[in-house]
Amino acid sequence: MVWEIGLPLPFAASLPEHPTETELAEACRRGQVRAFEHLYRVHSARMKSLAFHLLGSRADAEDTVQEAFLKVCRAARGFEGNSSLSTWIYRILINCCYDAIRKKQRLAENAAPAEFRAESNVTLKVALERALKALNERQRMVFLLFEVEGLRHSEIAAILEVPEGTSRSWLFEAKCQLKRMLTEAPK
Amino acid sequence: MKFECGDLERALANSDLFPEAREHLKSCAVCRREYRLWSEISSVARELHEEWDTPALWPSIRQAIEAERKPERIWWKQRKTWAAAAALVIAIVVPVGLWRHSVATAPPARTPAATTPTATRQTPTPDFLTEQALREVEKSEAAYRQSIAKLSQLAAPKLSTQSSPEVANEKERLALLDSAIAETRASVASNRFNIRLQTALADLYRQKQETLRDVLSHDAKN
Repeated sequence: MVWEIGLPLPFAASLPEHPTETELAEACRRGQVRAFEHLYRVHSARMKSLAFHLLGSRADAEDTVQEAFLKVCRAARGFEGNSSLSTWIYRILINCCYDAIRKKQRLAENAAPAEFRAESNVTLKVALERALKALNERQRMVFLLFEVEGLRHSEIAAILEVPEGTSRSWLFEAKCQLKRMLTEAPK
Repeated sequence: MKFECGDLERALANSDLFPEAREHLKSCAVCRREYRLWSEISSVARELHEEWDTPALWPSIRQAIEAERKPERIWWKQRKTWAAAAALVIAIVVPVGLWRHSVATAPPARTPAATTPTATRQTPTPDFLTEQALREVEKSEAAYRQSIAKLSQLAAPKLSTQSSPEVANEKERLALLDSAIAETRASVASNRFNIRLQTALADLYRQKQETLRDVLSHDAKN
């Protein structure tokens, strides 16, 4: 008999091609791999990009996305739907990234802290990428989610579990800080 | 209100610049440059979105998911599950049987009538079981035998295929226990109501069950 994660195939309800949030959440709760595959198709590009900016390497980003999906699968049965699935997934991914960062920091305790020096001969994109590393955690996170990944403040607020106004304010702080760093004369 | 250069940052907090700020930008090159950079940060940030192909990532995630789920799928095939179930049955049935047996064979409370010679003769001697207690003991024995049969079945592959000194010891111990059980059962068959024989038999069953569990637990560790 062919099995679909705990259920013989005839008992595993099929997932529509474009499932609603409720259908998807229910399929995830039942542990259907196709539901997780759907989530992967929809969110993985953004998840990889976010993890890349937080961790600094594609390999680490891929490992962390994988870890996040495994955690999503393990916890899906208990997903209560208090937030949207995507919010929940990003929250898990961000926690996985922080875990990975802590692990990396332990491995390289003597590494110098991120420091930004504006350079006249680099493009704005490269300079911005470097300046981002010098932002504090919350500013960088909001900037990445809003400006780089295009999430709305309402979504970011739900992911970070802060009021929407706080998300806006952290973004403003981040941009002010970046602007200052980008206009600073190189030392 | 007169808009000054120092007000620009506050003005940028709103997504739309208010008219005074716009007017100021027309006449102030420094603020104009700052404002252009502010807008550019957002547009360049979009370019930071990183995309690359990872054809192996989903198959790897799927494989990891399935590997994690596999033990859940075959829980009912696991030896540990059966061993735990057998231990649970014994842990419940044996104490209940022994308790009922002790209740059934306990000496009656002393009453004036019980002190008469007739009453003393009617009280069963503590070395023999009553009919009801015997039924309970036989029920416990059946449960023991059933769980031992299950454990023996689970342990059989290891006992027949491995030849380590540990396994050899356990095989020898099991053989000794089997012969002692057979002997005691023969005695019990001719003296079913004897408490000492029944207790000795129960003790042998318990030892055999523990030995089989040891075999399985070594198996799990290996």
